[in-house]
Amino acid sequence: MRAVAVAQPLSLARSLPRLGAGLTPWLHVAPALLCLGVFVYWPVVWSLWLSFHRWDFLAASRPFVGLANYRDLLASDEFRNALERTFLFVLATVPARLLAALFLAQLLLEATPQRRFARAVLFAPYATGGVAVALVWSWIFNADVGLANALLRSFDANGLPWLTSTDLAIVSVAIVAIWKSLGYDVVVFTAGLTAIPREIHEAAALDGAGRFARFRHMTVPLLMPTTFFLLCVMVIDSFQTFTLVAVMTRGGPAWSTDLLVHLLYRTSFVYFEIGRGAALAILLFGGLLLFTWIQFRTIGRRVHYGGDR
Amino acid sequence: MRSRRIAGADFGALLVALIAGAPFALALVVAGLPADAFLARELAITLPRLDNFVRAVEAAPFPRYFFNTVLVAGLATAGSLLTSILAAYAFARFEFKGRDVAFLAVVATLLIPSHVTLIPNYLTMASLGLVDTYPALILPSVASGFVCFFLRQQFRNIPRTYEEAALVDGASRLQILWLVILPMARPAIAAMAIFQFLTEWTSFLWPLVVTTSPEMRTLEVGLAALYDVAVDDGIVNWPVVMAGAVMVMVPTLLLFALAERHLVRGVAPEVVR
Repeated sequence: MRAVAVAQPLSLARSLPRLGAGLTPWLHVAPALLCLGVFVYWPVVWSLWLSFHRWDFLAASRPFVGLANYRDLLASDEFRNALERTFLFVLATVPARLLAALFLAQLLLEATPQRRFARAVLFAPYATGGVAVALVWSWIFNADVGLANALLRSFDANGLPWLTSTDLAIVSVAIVAIWKSLGYDVVVFTAGLTAIPREIHEAAALDGAGRFARFRHMTVPLLMPTTFFLLCVMVIDSFQTFTLVAVMTRGGPAWSTDLLVHLLYRTSFVYFEIGRGAALAILLFGGLLLFTWIQFRTIGRRVHYGGDR
Repeated sequence: MRSRRIAGADFGALLVALIAGAPFALALVVAGLPADAFLARELAITLPRLDNFVRAVEAAPFPRYFFNTVLVAGLATAGSLLTSILAAYAFARFEFKGRDVAFLAVVATLLIPSHVTLIPNYLTMASLGLVDTYPALILPSVASGFVCFFLRQQFRNIPRTYEEAALVDGASRLQILWLVILPMARPAIAAMAIFQFLTEWTSFLWPLVVTTSPEMRTLEVGLAALYDVAVDDGIVNWPVVMAGAVMVMVPTLLLFALAERHLVRGVAPEVVR
């Protein structure tokens, strides 16, 4: 009796694949594939097609123009400006996010109630809508009635043109971007730190390694896969910032916060230059792929995933 | 010595929480202030008033935005869970020709940024006559490469023995998925449900592009419009704007507070967990 009960599932296990043969698996995956095909893959192809055509929304003719959209775009001041400002924004956010998140993850690592609470509060902005938090910070950074300048003035300092100066606006937006995503970064680092076995630290401490030495020579290298993952996510994420600048500065003042996706938005949906907008989308997509590939080839190669020694 | 250091870190933790949470608290305070007190910088703690919320609702149809957002986020989440669960189960358990290619095609969508699909998706909706409708807001989100990928990993971790037992009892594949797999993968599905719902709730660029009439706006788009009009008029009534922001944030913050553990499980990547 018992032997039969064991034998049956075993024979079924071998016949399991055949049960799934035929049309059934495809019926399972069809809805997802269909939707991704129509709303993700087809748009990529269509974007590419559009980028080779001049299409000004209401115009009747949509002539093939070859690479003209790309040529015009690359030669235009607004594209160069957006590219420069976007690089600046990425540089202003990514390293700060990495460092702050690593520090905070380390500080909040032990699961005491206070630290768990702090991690949750840090994460809250990530779970909240970009427009709402952009508005809260628009008030904080408002030159006349904002909190930031009220604080400065209470220390007898002059208020700053947080969002109205071409130098400062991008920094102010970067501060908000960092605040908004820090909680996510901390969660990922915390997961990475928790995965490092405690014994390694204890053994090193016994050998006389100090706190800093342990951090520098053990935590940092062992955390590299996590850091590398975060770096890729952050770069992709920063390059595509839209909501914060759209709400807080509308790309201004003097287009100093006109990041690439904001330029894409106004080219396509304010000026209705669809072909040119598509060319910008393709360039940004290609650039991001290239960037990620370079990151994998350069930094990714040196990342130790462990177990391959 | 050791206990003092731990207490110090706990103090630091509370300080971090205070700084990180301050903008939310301040928005709430300003939203409760009468406009004259705000301009006079009288931050005296009076009983919070609802005037600003009333004025925000008068300035923009927030109840309608709320309804739209719940409907769109709810249906998009349900849709993407349904398509992903079906596909993830097939990828996890069936062996069929082309499976790996199909799965790769699903995962590769994670590399495709949403800005590339923006213009063509708008044109698709325009050619179908769907601009400014609920289907336009919902349809592009009824499948998700990420959710599908995540659930497939989770389903693979469930021992096959349970399904085999059910097969012996004569259950069909869909019954097994519904009665065996789903209950066992509940935490993973809950994580994805919350993650998708929040993603949809906070989505901005697509609803901004694909809605034209105020009645079709979602909360985020409606809130941005309220502020835009105020800026263009040259008078921003900050307490009213903050009241609007608070109304938009509160549901997400509540959902987050209730489901923090689930959500964090969903976003921390498999590789580093």
